[in-house]
Amino acid sequence: MGFSTVIRGRVWVFADDVDTDQILPGHSMSKPPEELGKYAMSGSAIPDFPTKVKCGDIIVAGFNFGMGSSREQAPVALKQCGVALVIAKSFARIFRRNAINIGLPVMVADTTGLQNGDEIEVNLRTGSIRRLSDDWCVTGIPVSAVALETLEAGGLIEKVKRQVCGNEGRGLCSAGKDHKDH
Amino acid sequence: MNEIEFYLAKSSKVDRVAPGDEISLSVDLVMAHDVTAPMAIREFYKIGIPSVFDHRKVLLVIDHCYPAPTVDARTNHRTMQEFGRRYGITVLSNGEGVCHQVLSEMGKLERGSILVGADSHTCTAGGYGAIGIPVGSTELAAVLATGKIDFEVPHTVGVCLKGNLPLNCSGKDVALSLLKEFGVRGLTDKAVLIFGEGVRGLTIGQRMTICNMTIETGAAIGYVSESLDMDDVDQIVTIDLNRLSPLVACPSSPGNVRPVSEVAGVPISQVVIGSCTNGRLEDIKEAARVLDGRKVAPYVNLVVVPASRRVVADAEREGLLAVLREAGAVITNPGCGPCFGAHQGLAADGDVVISTTNRNFPGRMGSRKAEIYLASPATAAASAVAGRLVEAELR
Repeated sequence: MGFSTVIRGRVWVFADDVDTDQILPGHSMSKPPEELGKYAMSGSAIPDFPTKVKCGDIIVAGFNFGMGSSREQAPVALKQCGVALVIAKSFARIFRRNAINIGLPVMVADTTGLQNGDEIEVNLRTGSIRRLSDDWCVTGIPVSAVALETLEAGGLIEKVKRQVCGNEGRGLCSAGKDHKDH
Repeated sequence: MNEIEFYLAKSSKVDRVAPGDEISLSVDLVMAHDVTAPMAIREFYKIGIPSVFDHRKVLLVIDHCYPAPTVDARTNHRTMQEFGRRYGITVLSNGEGVCHQVLSEMGKLERGSILVGADSHTCTAGGYGAIGIPVGSTELAAVLATGKIDFEVPHTVGVCLKGNLPLNCSGKDVALSLLKEFGVRGLTDKAVLIFGEGVRGLTIGQRMTICNMTIETGAAIGYVSESLDMDDVDQIVTIDLNRLSPLVACPSSPGNVRPVSEVAGVPISQVVIGSCTNGRLEDIKEAARVLDGRKVAPYVNLVVVPASRRVVADAEREGLLAVLREAGAVITNPGCGPCFGAHQGLAADGDVVISTTNRNFPGRMGSRKAEIYLASPATAAASAVAGRLVEAELR
């Protein structure tokens, strides 16, 4: 899958308290999972985000990004439409866990000063953020070792698979083989 | 250790825990609904094991989109039913009601038990002293496989309740007073432990309502204790129930709380009474007391969404639904209704809604240009009659 801990991309700026209804409105939650990207941030201040975002873009936001619902469709939609990383001053608990679990990196940093369209390079291991145009720098909180492990595995399910099938249940695994890829 | 920590230690089979400890909890009950379960099921299949950790400890509830308003929603129901048949898991799929209320009616919520739910309002179970941990679909799939959840022991904030509620206040006003105190991120990742003599005067339903909205403060756990005092918490905030007045969360944040008296007079166009926050029998009763013999104002729509089938049956038996119908309410089937903006009473540009639900984010009930106020059933019902936001006069 090639997960990299150094991410370079173009910035989209959002404010404090971006809730999950802004990230993925309730009416779109029942859509088939492969269509969720079309609704990413469609309840936000940038409702046409899915048509503007490019693969590898980075969201930077204020405090409490992802507050509200447990809907995992929210980080899934962001990942699907191409968002490579979300940086915020803080995250709501469930969103933060969901994002890591599905393989969308999230990092805590104060990026006040960045503007829409800025190109930045982020090192998840060190927490360093650098704007490419002028070498403006800031250091956030490095992504934890446990979270990196999950991200590098390709998400929580891959990690659980290794746990369940690697240690205790090698024989059990083949029983569910038909579901492995879907 | 405080009471929450005691139960976390017990579940993880260690003698002591402290804030920051990474522990692994044994889960007593796993729950998901029709918005979160289909994705969890898909992820569970990817793990590739032949069964869930214990099919008797799993409950799936179809409550968000029922009866199916779209073909996609129906597809999700069928995915859940098939999964249930395959693994011997109970799927409540006939409109029994909102998962949090149904769990309570099934007697599944024991003090100190660990409930993992793929819904942010899983904290509602804290009204019983159960520890409700909200997760997303993937983490739920992992719990279905292992029966365990990794958990970092949170710091605990104590909320001491004193006194008794005034007549025109209820559990919702207590919940809103917590949001007034802490805002929407004041308790991020914390456990909220509610205790004190004031708890004794609160019904189980009111305790559930208070816990239900602890997630709106960012909390990891909401929990009601029956103890009169509490040690081993980071801080204690005291709320004197005698001094509460009806509160309302103004557009567009649950943390934007003000006394109803300060914002009274705002003209409204739609009222929603119900949901896992305030759709219980006592909430319907509270609304019916206000609406008895009166009519909903012209050009105002009142939608009542009972939290469960049992609530409907009890309210019918007590004549409460007749009172609501006479007043001009439409009563939907039990479920989540319009709370999360999928069906059964959406709001359009320019709508001003008073709702007893738990979130008023922009676009939560439909249009981003609708305004939503969150209030108690009494405030909502009185406002429905007045056609504007008013305090209820209850004797």
